[in-house]
Amino acid sequence: MKYKILIVEDDFTIQTQLKNLLTGNRYEAEAATDFNAVIEQVKAFEPHLILLDIKLPGNDGFAICSQIRVFSDVPIIFVTSSNTDMDELNSIMLGGDAFITKPYNTAILLAKIASLLRRAYPSEQGETLTWKNAVLHLESSVIEYQNQKAELTKNEAKILYYLFKHAGKICPRNDIVDFLWDNQLYVDDNALSVNMTRIRDKLASIGLTDFIKTKHRQGYTL
Amino acid sequence: MSGKQYLKNQLPVVFINLLGILALSLFLLAGGSSVQSILFISAVWVFTVICWMAATCLSRKKYLEKLLAMTEQLEERYLIAELMAVPEKADDQVFYRILKMAEKSMLEKIGGIQRERKEYREYIEQWIHEVKTPITAMKLLCENNRLDFTRDLLAELEKVTRFTEQALYYARSEHTEKDYAVREIRLEAVIHGAIADNKYLLRQNHVAVTVDAMEDSVYTDDKWVRFILNQLISNAVKYCTKQPALHFYTVRRGERTLLAVEDNGIGIAESDLPRIFEKGFTGQNGRIVQSSTGIGLYLCKRLCDKLGIGLEAHSNEKGTTMVLSFSVNYFVKEVQG
Repeated sequence: MKYKILIVEDDFTIQTQLKNLLTGNRYEAEAATDFNAVIEQVKAFEPHLILLDIKLPGNDGFAICSQIRVFSDVPIIFVTSSNTDMDELNSIMLGGDAFITKPYNTAILLAKIASLLRRAYPSEQGETLTWKNAVLHLESSVIEYQNQKAELTKNEAKILYYLFKHAGKICPRNDIVDFLWDNQLYVDDNALSVNMTRIRDKLASIGLTDFIKTKHRQGYTL
Repeated sequence: MSGKQYLKNQLPVVFINLLGILALSLFLLAGGSSVQSILFISAVWVFTVICWMAATCLSRKKYLEKLLAMTEQLEERYLIAELMAVPEKADDQVFYRILKMAEKSMLEKIGGIQRERKEYREYIEQWIHEVKTPITAMKLLCENNRLDFTRDLLAELEKVTRFTEQALYYARSEHTEKDYAVREIRLEAVIHGAIADNKYLLRQNHVAVTVDAMEDSVYTDDKWVRFILNQLISNAVKYCTKQPALHFYTVRRGERTLLAVEDNGIGIAESDLPRIFEKGFTGQNGRIVQSSTGIGLYLCKRLCDKLGIGLEAHSNEKGTTMVLSFSVNYFVKEVQG
């Protein structure tokens, strides 16, 4: 199921780019268009999460937040450019779940969204990813293929996670390194090569040969 | 007030008295008085005048010195007219009125300047908040279209963000009390946040970043510490050598938690070290690297002082280590626990 996210943001560029970003990360995103009728739109769209700017034409974000809280407990992330403690305090007092200041790091924004969604809508089983009969267990960092298992290090698990998430597409090396940095693993290009070699060895040991293909000068693909 | 100067001011009085004595003596001499009685009268006259002059000189001296001491103790000396008693002497009252007038115009001027400064600061803060919207939009545009050149753009955007933050904190550093929330923060989280703020810059310069595992929590304001770390990271990148490396680790020393940011850059000359936190100081490194402004570390130090964080620099030819030292606050723990 796709989670629905409502963007309440008056800057048009940010609005569309946020929408692109969220859609690209497999969320269903919609942007509020009429700032005097945000409440109606919330009721109609029934989002799983709301990104709410504080400075808006008409009612400000705080007012909208307290109006939403009357009928819904949907997670609300305040996104604002003023990073005073007063605003942060206000947003928490009025029932906001998180407070992010502009200019934000998209990785941090996405991580926050994911963690709030996980908390608000807990799923039953531990997450796994599957591609061509190979199963990646995220919580235990184990890859499984035809009942054979291999343990992965943190770096290896994250790299495989990224490849699984983008299975079938070419993943540029730079994007993989970016993703690792976003997960606080500060590896460089050489370290990525070393990790890839280790992953391939581990995959081969459980019978997955040529699972990861190298596209010359482009990156890797599953 | 010196006695000599006082005497000099009183010369006309002395002169008139002498003239009086002379006239009286001549008059008495003509009237046939004896020389002894004339000398006696003159002696009494002179004695009285000297006594009177000494007494007034002393009382005046006491009064003025008290006033002087009072003024010296005052922090805002222009307010002395508010504190002093209204003088009794006619000419003193004129000076008192002058002081009052001077004070009033001074206060008006100060008020005006303060108002102007406040308005300017508010404008700067507002401007910074407004410029953050297009920065955010540009960042999103770049992140949604990742190419080699957008990565470079993102590194530049990180710089723009840092400069705007610098301006914001500079404007705010005078009035920290307004924007300051101490809470328990995990140092690890702040460090990773600061690295994330400089991700593209660090990657562009191929900096090898290591963050040691740490469990330390400190009581401080996370925004401010993150800003300080941002400055330190940008300095490490600015003054780096080939194969730059950046290492974050903590050390517990007695009552303090030390957070070290260690780089292997060009280092700081020993003669420059004592002055690096001065405003506008760029030193020898400033001649090597063009973009030295002498603001970053000055601001870091200033914010650290306000937050009660120690900031020290150690450097040799192998690199620089900046050390932030946080006091472990048992009091807060006890209150919470």
